[in-house]
Amino acid sequence: MAKITLQTDSEYTRQLMEAGGKNLKECYQCATCSVACPLAPDAAPYPRKEMIWASWGLKDKLMSDVDLWLCHNCGNCSDLCPRGARPAAMMSAARDMVYRDLMAPSIIGKWMSSPRGLPWLFLIPAVIWFVVWWIRAAIMGSWFPRTEDGKIVFGQIFYGDYTIDPIFMLTFFTALAILVRGSMKLWDRFKPKGKTTYIGPHRNWLLCIWDVLWEEVISANRFSECADGPKTGQPEQSRRLSHTMIVWSFCILAFVTAVVALGHWGGKIIPAILIETPMPQTFWVKIIANVGAVLLLVALALLTWRRLSLNRKYQTSSYYDWYLLGIIWLVALTGMGCQIFRLMDCIHTAFIVYYLHLVFVWMLFAWVPWTKLGHFVYRAVAMVYVRMYGRG
Amino acid sequence: MSNAILVVGGGFAGLTAAIEAAELGHEVYIVEKMPWLGGRVAQLNKYFPKLCPPSCGLEIQFQRIKNNPKIHCLTLSEVVGLSGKKGDYKVKIRINPRHTAPHNVDFSLLASSLEGEAPSEFELGLCKRKALYKAMPFAYPARWALDPSTLSVSDSARVAGDKFLDVVEKPREIVLDAASIIVATGWQPYDMANLANLGGGSIKNCISNMQMERLASAFGPTGGKIRRPSDGKAPLKVAFVQCAGSRDENHLSYCSYICCMATFKQCLYIAEQAPQTMITVYYIDLRAPGRYIKVLEQVQALPNVKFVKGKVAEALQAPGDKVTLVAENALTGQKSRIEYDLAVLATGMQPSLAAGNLPFPINLDEDGFVEDGSAKGIFTAGCAKMPLDVSRTAQSGTAAALYATQIIKGASNGK
Repeated sequence: MAKITLQTDSEYTRQLMEAGGKNLKECYQCATCSVACPLAPDAAPYPRKEMIWASWGLKDKLMSDVDLWLCHNCGNCSDLCPRGARPAAMMSAARDMVYRDLMAPSIIGKWMSSPRGLPWLFLIPAVIWFVVWWIRAAIMGSWFPRTEDGKIVFGQIFYGDYTIDPIFMLTFFTALAILVRGSMKLWDRFKPKGKTTYIGPHRNWLLCIWDVLWEEVISANRFSECADGPKTGQPEQSRRLSHTMIVWSFCILAFVTAVVALGHWGGKIIPAILIETPMPQTFWVKIIANVGAVLLLVALALLTWRRLSLNRKYQTSSYYDWYLLGIIWLVALTGMGCQIFRLMDCIHTAFIVYYLHLVFVWMLFAWVPWTKLGHFVYRAVAMVYVRMYGRG
Repeated sequence: MSNAILVVGGGFAGLTAAIEAAELGHEVYIVEKMPWLGGRVAQLNKYFPKLCPPSCGLEIQFQRIKNNPKIHCLTLSEVVGLSGKKGDYKVKIRINPRHTAPHNVDFSLLASSLEGEAPSEFELGLCKRKALYKAMPFAYPARWALDPSTLSVSDSARVAGDKFLDVVEKPREIVLDAASIIVATGWQPYDMANLANLGGGSIKNCISNMQMERLASAFGPTGGKIRRPSDGKAPLKVAFVQCAGSRDENHLSYCSYICCMATFKQCLYIAEQAPQTMITVYYIDLRAPGRYIKVLEQVQALPNVKFVKGKVAEALQAPGDKVTLVAENALTGQKSRIEYDLAVLATGMQPSLAAGNLPFPINLDEDGFVEDGSAKGIFTAGCAKMPLDVSRTAQSGTAAALYATQIIKGASNGK
């Protein structure tokens, strides 16, 4: 028999425990959790094996574990765990550790991992947008200018063409590039070590992506599967509706942003599609944008209420969970707020709220590779991988 | 001042304590809630260490009681109040009506003519009993009991004229003096209704280990033939689900100690009756204390018994009244959903006192087991203190008797 030496890392275990998996050593490997999970496949189900990897400190195994991302955190395993070991919290913590360590610069991952880093995460965009404001104020001759007809137009300070668009495009494409590189890195980790030969027909990767989009975004079927587990005796809280709403609201808002960007920049070439902001309230793009914003607020309220009403005996929320919910709340509230204050003609408040809105939106996008929001890319990568190659 | 000892509970612990104390010359009262003595042991088919039937050990105890004028048995009785202090307690006891005359009358003919039926408590719901009933052939006291609430209208007419029956008998209360008290209130099988993921007791042919004892018992509902409750067929595939509610923070947080051995014993019952039956035992750890390892080895050597390390966390009704069990084999990492003709949940023991209504000035731990009450002259025997098997229960009964008698000595010496 071959001799296997396990590379253990007790420091990793300690970090996992700090990151939310604090009860993981309670596990006595009864395998209740693998049955409790309705998503776990029959061959090598999770999270029982992840629990023992975690308590033994098998960092490489966990960091390259595709199953971490198949888990949708319904919490059935924690509800049924006879030891209160909270496998769901451990899985979540292990994902958080991936967000933290996957991509350079690693200092951002570190800032993101606890409230102590929050000032830095806030200050960077705050300074960027303050400098923009300061320069534009000098040019306009006022920090809170009005147009000649007395209206509040944020574009006077945060002029789209030269400030918002270039900064956000740069931010967006940098974050995207980091996400793509992170995805490739993750993909490499998922791949078995050594050489692998695949026999038999393969599903085209485009079809795999479509499957994942259908399951995760369009139908959100996975979340209803989450509810198919064994009866836990605990009240069921389906996230299908709230999560679908938030995904759709993001899609709508992304679409609106793209339409406005296209209308604005494309309009310079084809005048017929020109869109100028602020758009009138009756303009179809504005209506869609408001629908998206309301959807976002409702979904946020539902998701926040769910987290607040979790039975603490079984389930908890990590800092990563609250950071993501918090930042989306701030984006949504400041987004609605600046519009409301603009319409109420409170010029100082309107500008300050708009400035904060820019800061929070920047935080939301720029830090994506290191936050829980990155799961929409990393999870998709894992699911496409599993569809193409199975689970190793 | 009293020289008597009150023993609460007429199971194996209480009987042993009562007999030991009485045979030392002390006056003993046994207060038993049920109509007969014997407790859980009476319901077993066989018990450790020697795998004898309960008639063996219990009948000896019953003989010792019968022959000892110092022992007073109060069946259908409950302690409802307590006052006084160590060495001098006054105990209020409610004696519920038995409705049958204090003669050894054989009511079997009358009983078989009755219509009304209720689920049998002694048979754990596996069959019905009549309004007039006796739990088992060697029941002690050998008197029948009448449950008027089960009588149908025509039954009532039928029993009305019987001079050995008194349908309108009322409960009465008495007060006894006792120097010390032995709490031997025993245990209840953990209620399957609490195990939501294992069907909550509503799955057909998914029974508890205590029900399995009744199926295997020669005087049980099937005459000792192990049959499926739903259709009376002999099961070809049987599974045992270990730790069903035990070692689980959401249910019983402790190991119930007896369920592994009970399952091994029941594997032997099945292998003896139908060696071709395929048996699977799902477990977290197998616990065979001390010399019981021999039993485990004996069961492991059986050709048709398979052990799977992995807790069953979901049970479902399958077509044909079968039971689907879902478990992950933690050694192979394979999750399986397998149908069985019969599934046995190895439910654990919950102390009876966990249900509340404690008339004694003693503390219970968070699981409902009695903490030390010796300072108050109250001693605990058997499973009221901790999960025990029968032989250790007997030892704890003797120990409690020894402590309880010392209180009397101290009191009579004026200390």
